Amino acid sequence: MPVTKRPSSVRGMLLLLLLPAGVALMALAWFIHGTLLERMSREFVESRLKEEVAFLEHRIRESGGAIDSLDAGDYFQEVFHHAFAIASPSQQMVSPESWAPLLKPLFASDKQGGVNIHDASVPEAPPWILAYRRSFMIDGVMIVVIVAENMESLQQSQETLHTWTAVVSVLLMVLLVGSLWIGVTLALRPVEALQSALNRLQSGQISRIDATGPDEFRPLVGQLNQLLDSLEHRLKRSRNALTNLSHSVKTPIAAVRQILQDTGRPLDQELRQAIVSRLDDIDKQLEAKLRRSKFAGAHVGQSAYPVKLARDLLWMLGRLHSEKSFELATNLAEERCWPIDEQDLNEVLGNLLDNAGKWSSRCVELLLEECRDQMIIVVGDDGPGVAGEALKTLGKRGLRLDEQAPGHGLGLAIVFEIVQRYGGEVRCGLGRSGGLTVTVQVPFPNQILSTNKWHDR
Amino acid sequence: MRLLLVEDDRLLADGLSSQLEKLGFSVDIASTAHDGIVLGEQESYRACILDLGLPDGSGLDVLRRWRGSNIGFPVLILTARGDWQEKVNGLKAGADDYLTKPFQAEELIARLHAIIRRSEGRMVDIVKAGYFELDQSRQTLKANDGQEHSLTGTEFRLLRCLMGRPGHVFSKEQLMEQLYNLNDNPSENVIEAYIRRLRKLVGTDTIKTRRGQGYMFDARD
Repeated sequence: MPVTKRPSSVRGMLLLLLLPAGVALMALAWFIHGTLLERMSREFVESRLKEEVAFLEHRIRESGGAIDSLDAGDYFQEVFHHAFAIASPSQQMVSPESWAPLLKPLFASDKQGGVNIHDASVPEAPPWILAYRRSFMIDGVMIVVIVAENMESLQQSQETLHTWTAVVSVLLMVLLVGSLWIGVTLALRPVEALQSALNRLQSGQISRIDATGPDEFRPLVGQLNQLLDSLEHRLKRSRNALTNLSHSVKTPIAAVRQILQDTGRPLDQELRQAIVSRLDDIDKQLEAKLRRSKFAGAHVGQSAYPVKLARDLLWMLGRLHSEKSFELATNLAEERCWPIDEQDLNEVLGNLLDNAGKWSSRCVELLLEECRDQMIIVVGDDGPGVAGEALKTLGKRGLRLDEQAPGHGLGLAIVFEIVQRYGGEVRCGLGRSGGLTVTVQVPFPNQILSTNKWHDR
Repeated sequence: MRLLLVEDDRLLADGLSSQLEKLGFSVDIASTAHDGIVLGEQESYRACILDLGLPDGSGLDVLRRWRGSNIGFPVLILTARGDWQEKVNGLKAGADDYLTKPFQAEELIARLHAIIRRSEGRMVDIVKAGYFELDQSRQTLKANDGQEHSLTGTEFRLLRCLMGRPGHVFSKEQLMEQLYNLNDNPSENVIEAYIRRLRKLVGTDTIKTRRGQGYMFDARD
């Protein structure tokens, strides 16, 4: 069975739902109107016939059961415009005469009240009549009185009325469809504005989207603008990084090439050392720049499992330094997610733990916790620690990543740089056992976004 | 000492092998993952240096193949990427250490000697209790569903203690001796936290509490 495709636009969906619902409700109202109209008119006719029967009965009783005296010709018909039939054991009377074939069979029945008679075979009589039959005794004589109304003509006028109702309904429906259309279009106008803003953005006429519009769209527009900000920021950063990189790498390459191409010059020990040191420069530059460009920084839609990553790293470092113990203390559940890029978090944890592992004498402890609006990472070791003055400059700003000497400071400088991008802070101190304790605090992103400091620097 | 070097860069491989041969190693060079797998399976080596980026596959797959067929020589992996996840994956696949390219030959040789020394006298060393297997050399626990869990140092020592004598009740004081942490006077709560973590791995019923006495590993099936 083929499934009909749902319209993908909001307007299409609204119209698809509202229009058939409007039509169906209108049709239902029209149908109910018809049924009620028919029932009402029937009840009305029946009650009138009943009154006339009662009137006739009254007259017959007054005349003491003599039907003849009622033979006033067209009197009743003129007064009531109804056909009637009266029967006593001695006499039967039907007016008008042409209805007799329809009414006479009713004398014999013993029904009281209204009867519908459909019979199109009698000429000059209507095909559908409603008759009201009543029998009563006067002085021991059974009298039957029937009053009948031509329903055909009533039906016709009723149908005319019903048709008019249909016409009015259709008109109303057209108005309803129109107002729905206008309502939906008006309500969706901000979307069109947004769409045109996006088009203009794409064609480069504007660089950010105005955050006006209904409340429902404001967060969306805000997020979009933030995304644009971070995109632009990143592009700038990677361009800068690449430019710097080519500057700093091409010179040593040129130097090494010069030496190697100079066939007249013997490759002595000193020259070899020079080449090696130039190549080391290139490697150092590459490493630092590549690492920086790999950091994701704060952006939407990222997450990592801190406990899982921490366990893996602790286990790995425990394998590499088998004489030391790497411990985890945390109240976080295994499946708890932090809104930090996985590679960034790995880099922070890895560098902190690796550093601690190098300096510790037998134990490294990692603490992961959350307090209200912050994610907290604490790494402590039982190594020799760092002397007071050096503690202050450890991995501090000003010392750029590619200016740090490899070894002790490099890992911490990376951590500083990443944490800074998330609007967090790193503090170094000495633990109770004298070893270095590094505390990283990173705010949860909604706090950063609201203060708009979420991109670095 | 025979050594296998799996590296696709000819210049690097030749340079390394000549330096290693000066130190008394006899080096076989494989330049593809396929050759590496075959050589590792057929010959018996003392150690291996394995590059992760090979032309016909990942070095990690080579390593997994070897470890899958119980080839246990120590492996030093070489990687150009240097992100932590790759290092973790390398060690999980069964490597003993890693080195990031470029490296100095002295560093490589020092690491190589270290992993050879560590692997000396190392055998498959597994403590079994019930459905659980504790791999002492890899510090991992294999549960009954075949899943491998990595353990921190204290978790491992506690579990080794408990699983070493299933059915024996260990007091908190005894277990506290297995504890290493930065706090000089660890409280008994620390032991309770570790027991909670271990119970998550092996099931609540497997480590039983004997009120006032301590804990017991219940290995009944």
